[in-house]
Amino acid sequence: MRRLRTLLGLCLLLALPGPAEAQSPVPRVVEESFQRDPGPLDFIRGEGLEQFILQALAGDALVGLDVQGRPVPRLATSWTIHGHALRFRLRKDARFTDGRPVRPEDAAWTLRAIQATREASPTKRAILANVTVSLAGGDVVLDGPKPAARLLVELARVPVAREGAPGVGSGPFAPARKGTTWTLAARDHFLQPRIAGFRFRLLADDLGVLEALQKGWLHVGVPPARRDLRPPPGLHEVHQAMHAQAVLWSRRKGVLPWMARWREDAFPQGFLGGRVRPSRGLWPETLGHPPMRPTAPLGARPARLEVHYPALDDMVQKALMALRARAARDGVEIEPRPVETALFYAQLGERRFETACTVVLFDPHPWAVLDYVEPEAPMNLTGWTHPRLPTWLARLETPEAPAWRELQEAWAADPGALPLLDLTSLTWVDDRLEVQPSPLGLYFTTPGPCGWRWLR
Amino acid sequence: MNGRVQGLAVWAAALAVARWLPGALWKPLPPPPFPWEALVPSGLAVGLLTLLALVLARAWGPAATRSTLLRLWEAVPDPLWGVAILALRPASWGPPGVGAWTAALLVATLPGEVRWLAQALPAEHPFPAAWGRALSAPWRSGALRRLAPDWLAARLPLWLTATLVLERLLNVRGLGSDWAARVEVRDRDGLSLWVLALAGLWLLASPRGRSAR
Repeated sequence: MRRLRTLLGLCLLLALPGPAEAQSPVPRVVEESFQRDPGPLDFIRGEGLEQFILQALAGDALVGLDVQGRPVPRLATSWTIHGHALRFRLRKDARFTDGRPVRPEDAAWTLRAIQATREASPTKRAILANVTVSLAGGDVVLDGPKPAARLLVELARVPVAREGAPGVGSGPFAPARKGTTWTLAARDHFLQPRIAGFRFRLLADDLGVLEALQKGWLHVGVPPARRDLRPPPGLHEVHQAMHAQAVLWSRRKGVLPWMARWREDAFPQGFLGGRVRPSRGLWPETLGHPPMRPTAPLGARPARLEVHYPALDDMVQKALMALRARAARDGVEIEPRPVETALFYAQLGERRFETACTVVLFDPHPWAVLDYVEPEAPMNLTGWTHPRLPTWLARLETPEAPAWRELQEAWAADPGALPLLDLTSLTWVDDRLEVQPSPLGLYFTTPGPCGWRWLR
Repeated sequence: MNGRVQGLAVWAAALAVARWLPGALWKPLPPPPFPWEALVPSGLAVGLLTLLALVLARAWGPAATRSTLLRLWEAVPDPLWGVAILALRPASWGPPGVGAWTAALLVATLPGEVRWLAQALPAEHPFPAAWGRALSAPWRSGALRRLAPDWLAARLPLWLTATLVLERLLNVRGLGSDWAARVEVRDRDGLSLWVLALAGLWLLASPRGRSAR
């Protein structure tokens, strides 16, 4: 009888629910959020961060980038470089989400459609400007004025669509949209995704994201930038150095050397919750550029400076307020002036500003900084030029080319722009989820999300 | 008729602003798809709001304007209702959706609409209040019937577009978010269609022959 009671007690004990950890099963799908509607999946016209995340999950580019930003095979198993020409050999086992095999003709069609469509993504059109696309012996051949090494890295941002169907990709996750929710289900793919998929909900508000993270409704999310905010139990922080900076331009002579002096001690330790650190050089060090100091001498001290910035950009606003406090110690009054975002960029485009500050996200390669110096480039807002610029540009074939040093010295002597802060991304991630951080973000590397896994 | 001409002039000015809105993005974004799925919930929410506001205004009457309860209810900022619903929702229920948004919208906008109606109602003292409730209730109903089209014409565009904050907080892609997103990406064609649609609603809701009354 006693033995029976012991046995019954043991059964009862086993029937009781275990600790909370054991009760919560490992989720199959990663719950995520979009800040804005990515619009329909479109590998030709789609633009913007959310659309590019969708494309990275639902599409494959010819090459991918690993966490260090080096090109690795993706749709192309191999490539060869002959001068400025790139020749890609495509893998045989890649299939679109509708089951059709990926052919070299699809890759060529995608690249040509981007070049020929006026409403195509401006980012991709800039990558493929003046590039000729051809097919030779079953390979895809690209030739153009850019150094092949640069074009190769940039092609990682151009996923391939099926010929005639700009919304159909061959990526590791099959997309579907229902109302305001995007689901991406893992499929049979050569990268062999290890998670079941994603569910992205539209959560435009920082506070909404924070609440959803705290209640366990999201497994991955970016919390608001607050100094003392800590992840709740079950989530941990993931820091990623980014190829992004808060940059200042001034069309007024002699302002940037003063700004360079003030930025050295304007930002206190732990500024913006550790998401930023003061920039040391002129070009992003994450892209492999050395920390350069402006060598231009300090000129006459300006009495007052009006700095325009995009309204609602809290980070830039706080940075300018810190800079203002520092400049005041030298008797200079900085007046930060918020301008509605589209009006601000219209002012930049038409060069109607005196001093302006905004966040810049660089492409993941050293040549990205040429947007500062090339004539008519989008970030050459002050008309920067140099008599020897064409010579240097022609000699920047590799990231190690000696011409880089000469160009850097010329830029340091008279910079056209000055970075204030280097940005770090801070993401909260579920403790049970293993992700792969990188300066490119969580989604834009290879294998990227296919390498994520749930920990048991 | 004058009122209608003035109203149309305002809508024409709004159309001109939408058409020639200045500004550009550094990298142009395509306009977002229109949230067709939000039309029915928005219509239902506005219908419910209309009904509840009229019922409350009829029950409360002009006295609502002096009510402390209404003043307290109105004092709470709209986003706080959204935050409260979000915070009080149990985690196990999952993320909020259209139902929570409708509740937040009703609780946030009802007091303002009841006040609008109550202030527009004709005074009831000394008459018809002196004749008793049996006569003052139909008097109030009649006044509300005449007031409702004006009220709808004045407030409908506001309800349809001013729910942006609650939509952002509560994860609902609605008409307010659509309007704001089009302003952000400078979708001038989409904004013009919005203004035309709102002008059409205003024309439908505004009473005809106002000058004859």
